[in-house]
Amino acid sequence: MKTIEWGFLIINYLFLGGLSAGLLFVSALATLIQKNAETDYTRIGRYGAMLAPWPVMLGCLLLVFDMGHWYRFYKLFLHFRWLSPMSIGSWLLMAFSSVSVVYFYSWLEAEQRERLFSLLPRRLRFLHFLNRDLTAWRRPLALFGLPLAISVGIYTGVLLGAVQSRPFWNTNLVAQMFLFSALSTGCAALILGLLWKSKELQAGEIRSLYLLDICFLFLEFFIVLPYVIHGQLSVQAVRDSLQLILGGPFTFVFWVFFLGCGLLLPLAIELWETVPALLSNATNHYGKQLAALSALLVLGGGFLLRYVFVFAGQMSSFK
Amino acid sequence: MAHKQKRYALLIDSRKCIDCKSCVVACRAENGVPLAYSRNWINEEHRGAWPKLQAAFEPEQCHHCTDPACVRVCPTGASRQRPDGIVVVDDADCVGCRYCIIACPYDARFFREDRGVVEKCDLCAHRVDRGEVPACVETCPSKARVFGDLNDANGKLRDVLAKRNYRVKKPEAGTGPQIYYLL
Repeated sequence: MKTIEWGFLIINYLFLGGLSAGLLFVSALATLIQKNAETDYTRIGRYGAMLAPWPVMLGCLLLVFDMGHWYRFYKLFLHFRWLSPMSIGSWLLMAFSSVSVVYFYSWLEAEQRERLFSLLPRRLRFLHFLNRDLTAWRRPLALFGLPLAISVGIYTGVLLGAVQSRPFWNTNLVAQMFLFSALSTGCAALILGLLWKSKELQAGEIRSLYLLDICFLFLEFFIVLPYVIHGQLSVQAVRDSLQLILGGPFTFVFWVFFLGCGLLLPLAIELWETVPALLSNATNHYGKQLAALSALLVLGGGFLLRYVFVFAGQMSSFK
Repeated sequence: MAHKQKRYALLIDSRKCIDCKSCVVACRAENGVPLAYSRNWINEEHRGAWPKLQAAFEPEQCHHCTDPACVRVCPTGASRQRPDGIVVVDDADCVGCRYCIIACPYDARFFREDRGVVEKCDLCAHRVDRGEVPACVETCPSKARVFGDLNDANGKLRDVLAKRNYRVKKPEAGTGPQIYYLL
């Protein structure tokens, strides 16, 4: 009896988990490469740290409510099964969420911390000993968070790729595809965050994020391409499963909405905005509308990639 | 002679199957499976056109693989394989993530919405432990099913497998299925 077991809750969770991984990755990278003085990277580090913990926590909540017995989720932490991607993933998510929250806290200013602690009810006053300045922890936390972010980003793909009975997933390219898509959505969310909070775009910031995102989108594109080509040259079961995106129900969503609008179009916008300035060594004034558009497209593309893979994968099987 | 670990398996002679579905009903009755679900089922295939046509029936259920994908992916160990080869789900540890359903190449598992856990054929382990055969095997009127121990050199299973040609389904999935279909 073939059924579709994982639906929109799982798709959203995979997207949100990847988004947090991307945000923390970019923020940690910015923190690690910046010098002591305030530079272009400081705001990237701060905004990434501020945004990173929340999507993954919401995603975990969705994951828990997708279970048959949501209150039994603690059982995931009573076992460690190293051959089960989901078991590894639960522990990873736990570690990642914890680190991202402490990292978030380390980026709070003194007055922000005061405001946070003033919200505590009287009975929880004893928690005030936690009101400490963790600025010095930022770099060690970033160093620790970077591999965790990569692991969470890649794990969402491994969760699907490690299922041998679903030929649509079971290739060694899905994990990397999800990783670079996750990192790219992190860049896009940061661009949106910076746009939302600032009247003027700082050229240095936006250029760094564009360049990083261009790298991720190129990598993602050159993984999607061999995924399709190699799949077509593979055994019958894989070729059959690829029919889902080559004439089947997901063809339009995959090629037009995901690859066209969610990957190639934002890539073109970002190249259009950065390359001329790089070549002529002139300072460029980046357009707010274009930046917002490309970021939204990248986020939409990231979501659609997961939508297509979660559903198409479950529909594929050996004959 | 040293005591050998048992390895239970099922052998099905599809040509004897008449699609009466007694096995499905017996399984429901034995294991309390509601009508909305089935632990076993019968695949039907129709070939040719009138007057040259043929209908083939092939009973199927969990294959109790030697290297079960469902057991590997289970995050809590609720899906496990007993030493005698029977793959079971421990209700108490099942969180209902349904990863095993997706991982099974035979789509032999289902999610019980009412109980919030995953269920499947367990070869009537409770009966087997009492020395009986699974309900589907006992009830089959055309004797299409043979249940036995692969490690028993004098058993019926080994005897038939030695004399007849057989196949397993989807060996390319790499899980080592243990339902043998006679050709």
